[in-house]
Amino acid sequence: MNRRIRSFLAGQIPLLTLLGLVVLVGLVDPSFFSFRTLMVLTSDTMTLFLMAAGATFVILMGGIDLSVQAVASMTSVIVAAILPELGILAIPVAVGAGALAGLAGGVSHTKLRIPSFISTLAVGGVVTTIAFLLSDARSIHISGEMRDEHLLWMVGEFLGVKNEIWVGLVVLGILGFVQLRTPFGRLARAIGAGERAVIATGVRVERIKALAFLLSGATAGFSGAMMAARLGSGSPTLANEFLLPAIAAIILGGTALTGGVGGVWRTFVGALIIAVVRIGMTFLGVSVFAQQIVFGVALVAAVAATIDRSKIQIVK
Amino acid sequence: MSTVLEVRHATKSFPGVKALDDVSLEIRKNEVVGLIGENGAGKSTLLKVLNGVYTVDDGEIRVNGRATPIAGPRDAFDHGIAMVFQEQSILTTLSVAENIFLGRENEFLRWGVLDKAAMNAAASVELEKVHLDVDPAASCGDLTFAERQMVEIAKAISLDTRVEGDIVILLDEPTSVLESKEIEVLFRLVRELKGRAAFVFISHRIDEVLDVSDRVYVMRDGKVVAETPASEVSIDRLHELMVGRALHHEYYREARQGEPGSEVAMAARNLSSRTGFRNVSFTLRKGEILGIAGVIGSGREALARCLAGLARIDSGTLEIGGGVRRFGRPSEAVAAGVGYLPRERRIEGVVTGVPVIENMTMSALDEFTAAGLIQRGRERTVARDWIDRLSIKTPSPDTFAGSLSGGNQQKVVLSKWRIADSDIVILDHPTRGIDVGAKEDVYELIRDMTEEGISILLLADTLEEVIGLSHTIIVMRDGEESARFDAPPGAKPSQVDLIRHMV
Repeated sequence: MNRRIRSFLAGQIPLLTLLGLVVLVGLVDPSFFSFRTLMVLTSDTMTLFLMAAGATFVILMGGIDLSVQAVASMTSVIVAAILPELGILAIPVAVGAGALAGLAGGVSHTKLRIPSFISTLAVGGVVTTIAFLLSDARSIHISGEMRDEHLLWMVGEFLGVKNEIWVGLVVLGILGFVQLRTPFGRLARAIGAGERAVIATGVRVERIKALAFLLSGATAGFSGAMMAARLGSGSPTLANEFLLPAIAAIILGGTALTGGVGGVWRTFVGALIIAVVRIGMTFLGVSVFAQQIVFGVALVAAVAATIDRSKIQIVK
Repeated sequence: MSTVLEVRHATKSFPGVKALDDVSLEIRKNEVVGLIGENGAGKSTLLKVLNGVYTVDDGEIRVNGRATPIAGPRDAFDHGIAMVFQEQSILTTLSVAENIFLGRENEFLRWGVLDKAAMNAAASVELEKVHLDVDPAASCGDLTFAERQMVEIAKAISLDTRVEGDIVILLDEPTSVLESKEIEVLFRLVRELKGRAAFVFISHRIDEVLDVSDRVYVMRDGKVVAETPASEVSIDRLHELMVGRALHHEYYREARQGEPGSEVAMAARNLSSRTGFRNVSFTLRKGEILGIAGVIGSGREALARCLAGLARIDSGTLEIGGGVRRFGRPSEAVAAGVGYLPRERRIEGVVTGVPVIENMTMSALDEFTAAGLIQRGRERTVARDWIDRLSIKTPSPDTFAGSLSGGNQQKVVLSKWRIADSDIVILDHPTRGIDVGAKEDVYELIRDMTEEGISILLLADTLEEVIGLSHTIIVMRDGEESARFDAPPGAKPSQVDLIRHMV
């Protein structure tokens, strides 16, 4: 096989994995192949995709965002709390709050020159506390009428397809476009591939970084809003179990933890892999609690396979 | 006298450059061997071979008369070869004793626990040998630079309690950061310790080498060109040996060296920076090539980085295009029209993991952006045009820059600043590690740039290069200007003229 085809196929491993897994689960239980099942599976995956979509840019740059699940939980509370007063405007407020949290992590990372895993871990803690304060540590119910009036565009159906999927595809389209066609998208990847050269070229790297964290917070915030809409409530611990799957979705999709390689489309695929593995395990009777073990192992394996060791002499 | 350490016909190549070319050298018992040569002559490579950091492509190393491959610094250590680094390898958070016996802790174990008292006592013995009066339990972070160097030498000397046979201590530029009094102490110590170990001494300062060495090797272009007892050679003679070769006028396109314009592109007055230079002044005219010569540590690298915005100038004024500037970051230098072609091409020059086209337009990306979107058609047209003009050999504009040859990567960096329309380009070793043909291309491109009115600040790879290309040459030594030469075509200064002020 010539080199071009081989490197193309190597880039498609996540997609091929996804298709392989779908076929595998389908062989165990042929009912999996129904349009309805696949659609429900995909729509269930969209909150995970949204949470990981913006963070993809952060990892693409060689950083990491450990606050996405905390941000999503907080915005679920915000949406549930202010929906009665602000209506649909609650959504942009939630996204804005998420963006602000992301920016806080990004700015403390760049201005204070501390590793992003620390700055976002700290912001995650702060954000969780804010969510507890806002909600009085309780889950806040969203009434059926409220939901039908303001949130149906996220959780209803259009042309026979669930709206979560439409929303996910629109976000995928926008971020994919941002990644490929804007200076921000291009430079984020270049920073991950060779930050010192990008700095010496005269690019204001800190701005690009701050923007990536902002974007990560914004999509996580949006994800929290969608979760609230789907579940009919907001809670300060709503998305707690999502950090590991979100990072795993990015890495399994083929974005390298060391930066420079990857993209939003890959995260879309990665999120679906997670979903199919999850449903496959349910079919096989693996307990929900044991599933995190599988994701943990898969994450370590995927990182080990994709990491660019030439960039890190010493692993700490 | 018996030979302790010997290198026989060693050859070592890196992509595009033969760093060691059939080098033979021997170090005898109880002697100090000096090693001199211009930047890039192969001294450091030779030391790294002796220290096991590099293995030779061809040839052999003999320790105490036996052919001995050296697998790494640790292996070298076990064979009695210790290196004292220019940038010290002392760990400042550990104590003096812990540093001296780093990696030898198992010699001080009692019931599996480190016996610190025994280690400190042993360290006192070693410190005695170098006449350093510090508490072995003191933290190295509290010592002065010179004291830490003594600790490092003590660490090397301590090898004699561990290794059978003779030991060799490699001193790489040990004096470059010492005061003259500290240098005296160091030299006295080296003379005294000769009885215990042989030394290899590398320095840019020839007078020091002659002062302390018994025998001197001179290297040039990866070869040993002379070997002589130190007592039988003069400084002038060593200068001549270091430079050697005659200048090829055509090679550097001297005929194309035009008269620079009268307009001043950049004017520096009394620039100083704690990163390594003081009171540097110059004017760079439109279309002029200003060469800066100097050895490593002369301050020229620090100057280039400050002018590119990668480090800070502490005092003095810098005028560019009539306005006074003080750069806090590279983006400000770029906005003022200053482009920088760095020495470390693959780290600061090109982003190896992104396509050629993205590297080319990275600095001027705003120019190709309308309504927030990159105008890819226009970008491609411009990139293709520059790929043609600089004859960059790349399968396509979308090829990863990292897969190009060194010379073509360098052209990509040059095209980046051409596309960004920089008025001043700082070339920090533009021909380092690229092959001869590509070098000539780069010289051609530099002449093209000056003809179009771009001003060049050049830190050349070799003396002949700086002489061949420059209109004016400033020589730096120890952070200050030590000489200045006009270098018009046909009346260029000689290499010996320059090197006299460099070392």
